Amino acid sequence: MLDPVVDDGEQLEVRSATLDELLVATAAGDRDAFSRLYDETAPRVFGLVRRVLVDAAQAEEVTQDVFLEAWQTAARFDPARGAATAWLLTLAHRRAVDRVRSAQASRERDLRTGIRDLEVPVDEVAEAAEIAVEHERVSGALAELSPAQRECLALAYYGGCTQSEIAARLDLPLGTVKTRLRDGMIRLRELLGVTT
Amino acid sequence: MSGADDRPGSEFDELRELTPAYALGALDEPDRLRFEHALESSAELRAEVEAFRAAAASLGESLPPLAPPPGLKADLFARLDTAPQERPAGGSGRPRSDYVAPVEPAPVEPAPLVDELAARRRRRRLAAVLSSAAALVLLVVGVVVGTNWVGPNGWGAQREMTALAEAPDAEQASADVPGGGEVTLVWSAEQGRSAIVAEGLPDVGDEHTYELWYIDESGAVSAGTFDVRGDEAWRLLEGEFASGTAVGITVEPAGGSPEPTTEPIAVIAT
Repeated sequence: MLDPVVDDGEQLEVRSATLDELLVATAAGDRDAFSRLYDETAPRVFGLVRRVLVDAAQAEEVTQDVFLEAWQTAARFDPARGAATAWLLTLAHRRAVDRVRSAQASRERDLRTGIRDLEVPVDEVAEAAEIAVEHERVSGALAELSPAQRECLALAYYGGCTQSEIAARLDLPLGTVKTRLRDGMIRLRELLGVTT
Repeated sequence: MSGADDRPGSEFDELRELTPAYALGALDEPDRLRFEHALESSAELRAEVEAFRAAAASLGESLPPLAPPPGLKADLFARLDTAPQERPAGGSGRPRSDYVAPVEPAPVEPAPLVDELAARRRRRRLAAVLSSAAALVLLVVGVVVGTNWVGPNGWGAQREMTALAEAPDAEQASADVPGGGEVTLVWSAEQGRSAIVAEGLPDVGDEHTYELWYIDESGAVSAGTFDVRGDEAWRLLEGEFASGTAVGITVEPAGGSPEPTTEPIAVIAT
């Protein structure tokens, strides 16, 4: 008994509710709100998960799990502490990285990492940012980082690599990688004006 | 920025330096565990994590969006019924902390062990699939790929299972097993056959086995044994199925027993 859950008739109302409101309503069990939230955010979530996992089938699985977890744990979202999109992407990133690191995935990991090496140039963070015109702020901030910092951030965030994995990949001392990641993130945070 | 309630000195500073990498998900396991442990007791660290996570999420937001396949949403919504939602603790409206979310005693989301999640996903898919007997064919094909012809779950059994699921008069009923798991009986009076699909039953180990019983007024007759390896199991029942018979499952010593020696963990009436 699959109910018709995709109701395109509601599309017009989507824009009137903010994503934050939709996520809050989701916490109260509002499936309609969750449906709209999904429509609005699934391409972002899938885009990120797919980037990290590369494999489309796994990305689909993880994306579904991300939204299921969002449905189940939406009550933890506090709009006062951050935006719904960031909350969802944090969840999505964690799950994607978990999957990358799972024993199941590790067998194919070397292969995938190899593919990623070919596909992902050093400046790929900035490159990706340029495509997303609506995020000029981010691409502007990324452009302020050193190429070495961007490289480390990309390997960590998009590649799902740990610090020691990055060090091994780049043949750098672990301390250097730690410093680049830390400094790059601190700089990014400053440039984006993220405060607490 | 050092508050009065901070951990003294260098250890805290050192942990604090891990925050950006933690927000990126880039800490190696020992550091991550250490950091999350400290996170539980430090509001300052949590605030730091939050700020860095916002910065990290912007890396995600900078990616080009990519539409997931259309079927994904329907699959997701089909799983919602079996996915209970957390409520804000104490009804005060104050959300639970999500800093180390999967580590907390969340009722439905324990540590994100991928295998376990995959298992849960399969289970939910199974529940959806079982909603029609015809769809059971797909399940059967999916479950037994890679097995031999012979044996209780071999290709021969698979064919019988498929035939059963396709039977025009196929019916099914499910029962929850106390202690976890669900069993579904599929039967066809016309074919005189039935099969059990178990999901989420615990593995009873090498010393014990699950035994199936056809039960009527005259007592219980063994219909074979089965073991659970992994999350799902299915088995065609041995012997002739007759309408009105109940099917029971007990835990017996390995190899099975001629008659039940324990209370059934589930009985399904037909």
